[in-house]
Amino acid sequence: MSVELGHFALILAFALSLVQASAPLVGARLGNGRLMQIGEPAAITGFALITLAFAALMLAYVQSDFSVLNVWENSHSAKPLLFKLTGTWGNHEGSMLLWVLILSLFGAMVAFFGSNLPPSLRANVLAVQGMIASAFLLFILATSNPFARLQPAPIEGRDLNPILQDVGLAVHPPLLYLGYVGFSISFSFAVAALLDGRIDAAWARWVRPWTLAAWAFLTGGIAMGSYWAYYELGWGGFWFWDPVENASFLPWLSGTALLHSALVMEKRGALKIWTVLLAILTFSLSLLGTFLVRSGVLTSVHTFASDPARGVFILAILMLFIGGALALFAWRASALAPGGLFHPISREGALVLNNLLLTTAAATVLVGTLYPLLVEAVTGDKISVGAPFFNLTFLPLFLPLLLAMPFGPVLAWKRGDLVAAAQRLHLAFAVAAIAGFMVYFLVDRATAFAAIGVGIGLWLVCGAIADLAVKAGAGKVGPVVGLRRLWGLPRAMKGTALAHAGMGLTVLGVVCVTTLEAERIVTMQPGDRVEISDFSLRFDDIRPFTGPNYSEEQAFFTLFSSGGRQIGEIVSSKRFYTARGMPTTEAGIETLLLSQLYISIGDATSAGGLVVRVWWKPMVTLIWLGALVMMIGGTVSLLDRRLRIGAPKASPKRRLATAGEGG
Amino acid sequence: MMFWIFAALLTLAASLAVMRPFLRKSADAAHGDQHDIAVYRDQLAELERERERGLLDEGEAEEARAEIGRRILGLQKSDASQEAANGNQGALVKVVAIAAVLSVPVVSWATYQLIGRPDIPAQPLAARLEKDPAQASLDELVARAENYLAENPQDARGWDTLGPVYIRLGRYRDAANAFRKAIDTAGGTAEREAALGEALVGVGEGVVTGEAEAAFIRAREHDPANPRARFYLGMAAAQEGDSARAGKIWRALAEELDDASPWKGAAASALADLTGGSPSQNDDAATDSNSAYERQQMIEGMVASLDAKLRDNPRDAEGWRRLIRSYVVLNKPSEAKDALDRAVAAFGAGSEEADALNAFAKELGVSSTE
Amino acid sequence: MTRKQKRLAVIGTGMGFLAVAAALVFYALGQQTSYFYMPGDLLTRPAVAGDRIRLGGLVQAGSVVRGEGTQVRFAINDADNSVQVTYNGILPDLFREGQGVVTEGTLGPDGVFVADTVLAKHDENYMPREMAESLKERGVWQEQ
Repeated sequence: MSVELGHFALILAFALSLVQASAPLVGARLGNGRLMQIGEPAAITGFALITLAFAALMLAYVQSDFSVLNVWENSHSAKPLLFKLTGTWGNHEGSMLLWVLILSLFGAMVAFFGSNLPPSLRANVLAVQGMIASAFLLFILATSNPFARLQPAPIEGRDLNPILQDVGLAVHPPLLYLGYVGFSISFSFAVAALLDGRIDAAWARWVRPWTLAAWAFLTGGIAMGSYWAYYELGWGGFWFWDPVENASFLPWLSGTALLHSALVMEKRGALKIWTVLLAILTFSLSLLGTFLVRSGVLTSVHTFASDPARGVFILAILMLFIGGALALFAWRASALAPGGLFHPISREGALVLNNLLLTTAAATVLVGTLYPLLVEAVTGDKISVGAPFFNLTFLPLFLPLLLAMPFGPVLAWKRGDLVAAAQRLHLAFAVAAIAGFMVYFLVDRATAFAAIGVGIGLWLVCGAIADLAVKAGAGKVGPVVGLRRLWGLPRAMKGTALAHAGMGLTVLGVVCVTTLEAERIVTMQPGDRVEISDFSLRFDDIRPFTGPNYSEEQAFFTLFSSGGRQIGEIVSSKRFYTARGMPTTEAGIETLLLSQLYISIGDATSAGGLVVRVWWKPMVTLIWLGALVMMIGGTVSLLDRRLRIGAPKASPKRRLATAGEGG
Repeated sequence: MMFWIFAALLTLAASLAVMRPFLRKSADAAHGDQHDIAVYRDQLAELERERERGLLDEGEAEEARAEIGRRILGLQKSDASQEAANGNQGALVKVVAIAAVLSVPVVSWATYQLIGRPDIPAQPLAARLEKDPAQASLDELVARAENYLAENPQDARGWDTLGPVYIRLGRYRDAANAFRKAIDTAGGTAEREAALGEALVGVGEGVVTGEAEAAFIRAREHDPANPRARFYLGMAAAQEGDSARAGKIWRALAEELDDASPWKGAAASALADLTGGSPSQNDDAATDSNSAYERQQMIEGMVASLDAKLRDNPRDAEGWRRLIRSYVVLNKPSEAKDALDRAVAAFGAGSEEADALNAFAKELGVSSTE
Repeated sequence: MTRKQKRLAVIGTGMGFLAVAAALVFYALGQQTSYFYMPGDLLTRPAVAGDRIRLGGLVQAGSVVRGEGTQVRFAINDADNSVQVTYNGILPDLFREGQGVVTEGTLGPDGVFVADTVLAKHDENYMPREMAESLKERGVWQEQ
């Protein structure tokens, strides 16, 4: 019964989403309060129903109910419980269900927390959310129903793709979807504002926390995906410029731009039209990502089993929402009044520069991702656009952005003083420059890339620190007062500094790994040693081992320092998953401070040796730690008092309490 | 029955949710402007804080304050006249409301009628395995044994028993895994290593791969006389093109073994294959035709078990391909055709899999009855 | 500056960035894209030795030879042609004889393809799209 009840709940949620998409919209047009209010109970109930459906599917996975086609195709009774749970979304149908679950969660949150939104805005936002939900629910029910049944039920399933049998699957897709789908709120707010014909600073104040939350999740999701690919695929790469990675990176770029332009709009009332456009574009890029992954039009490791019918359906959804929103934008944007004035050298000016660079960079990535499709459609030639293209186009646009980044927060609003700003940053610049020279002369004189890169990374980190220090009054007040003032700074300021410093850490990690990494490929017999960087690695032994649904050959290594001291033992293995008959490589990784030694084993050679590939990856963990710091920065910013109240009705008591805490 | 009650309750809850705004006494309509003013007031306060901290000088602060003030004034002008239009639309509102409330049960029940399968109960694996063994299918018995062995992986005898069953079911990979576990837990014997090798030959679709050959060599080390290992090592030699060595191995095997051993016939017929044409054209030795007959029997047994398996579990395109090919090889066109028809029915005529199977069968000269 | 001038300045800067981006994109597309070939394509539209291309096909059965250390030599074939490939490194998990692969590298003057990347399909359902199509055209491979 549970399976069919889940199916029914999903259908019911679809019916409800149709009501949510239409009734509040009509209510807002007619100015009828009751009709407008339908949106909230519909959104909350819809979320409850989709949760029920998702729970039913998950239960089917846990119980290995192979009468559900989806479970049979992607599960196995011997699979560990964690992977039975995460396997729920390790396939096309289940992950679409997760997608709408998160969509409905955001809708329910707007309904729940949005009681202080202007009623017509709230009604329109929920209606647009309802439209998105009904389109995707229809898509699921019509082309990718996770509740399709099998009768008679087979006794054993076909197991989940071994690459996905990893904790990464538990974290990466949910975070990524929270990001992707979170931008639907910004989109709905933008469309609702266009429908209303009203947009102002208050609007930006509503949109900012949602965008910030989505951005933080997306940052985490992308970073997690990158780390997962790094250790699971056994190639030791952290970013491949794979079309699907690009698909998640595009909304991140435009979402970052949106975050900053919404700031200008909130604080200064400027850039209204641009912000609305960015909100539409960001979610459109998220949809485009969904389309690219699901339709199979692009070649990628992420591609789900492709089905042309699905591709056409999603393309239709894509055109409907992007086209509809852009048409509405073209029609109504002129009704939005332009905002305040500012001087080019000012915080606004810096943020405009940030926006221009981010969107242009996003455009180059978009071109690189879609170009192969275009060429094939026009000439029939099959080409591929890889990392060299993106390095050549994306980096030159991203570099000036990084260089300018520390200036933004230290410039004043409206009219800034570049000289004063530079004075505030001179220490940060000095540190970065000295570090760059040291890297050039002491570490790597071959190219200037490492030196420049390390300099830029430190420039960002120190710039963020300098910004906070100046705001806390460093040099003007004593250390005790200074620290107290630092602690008392608004969370949004601390969040900004953290996010910018996090970007710097990621840059440091990327630069160190790409320029200073060492790699050896050798054939080893037990007892052999290989020298890499300052280490010596000994291959000890290879032994068979049996897991719950796989068998594997584990290769044991011992790592020594150059002085002969034993540092650690590393195990790398080759697994064979019996149900799918599929081998995987499990990399052996030893983390030493921020750096890692990475071992991936290959096939046995005829002479009884083992092909071993070893990398020394200096500072590699900074790539993901930096993203984590960015995510924390976003969260800290989100907890800022101003965003948290965001509501005129906050009780006087609470207001007093927060004011006391802030002052 | 329970399902329909729960479904009805869910529908009721969803409909009530839509009705909720109409059950309340009054719809409170707040002015949007109040919200904006609150935000601007907040901005003024923040401005004040920034000025105190010295981020803004007095002139800038004054300017900003004036600008926020201008925006607050701007709000008053655009105050809406929406409320006026509210009066005579009652009828339209009523129609929309009724349509909204009704559409929830109508759309959901109609859709469920279309795509739901209320007749199929949930079938958790654990419950299925607790059924009476007498009623269970072979697959279910195997699954039960697997469950037992998942909890008691040290039971080498269990693996020894399950392995050959897997081979009979054509699940060679699982068979190889079972024999490997038996070897891991209870040590390698000639029998186990040879059985592992045979399973690996099955995985390799009849090719004695390097891995399989290694297993047979290990088996021979345990027991130089093991006929299974020797037979397949001969096959390995034959597949590598070393007919002389293959012939030597098989000849020795056919001579040494007594008549009761199935490997005697197998070796003899393999030898015949090697030395002169296929056994069907070869009519000089009674043992040959005898063993050919045996082999035919064995193949037919395997095909029958595959056929039975596909009846239980028809959504296995690869299985259907093997079955159709086998019937064609056995020269049973009507069975082949029947298998194709059943396969197409299992996937639904016109489905992608069915089309692929039709195309596949056509190449073998089999076409379905359509 | 007046409001209008400021807006023009912003638009001008934006256009400037776009122009730079467009120039970079055109330059990079000219330099950094690689064409996809099947062994048979090398006969009909020969690749210039030294140009980066992708070469896809099936690993010819029995062609894999492991040389000194980590050197591997194998042949990639389609319906009627085959090309020798050398590669130094670890082959992907799913690299098997008779399976589809895509290699990336340059064609040497001796007609041997020197690969620096070898990609195998990632699970039994995955086949690079361009390759699936090319193979289907030639009737070598059928959709499962």
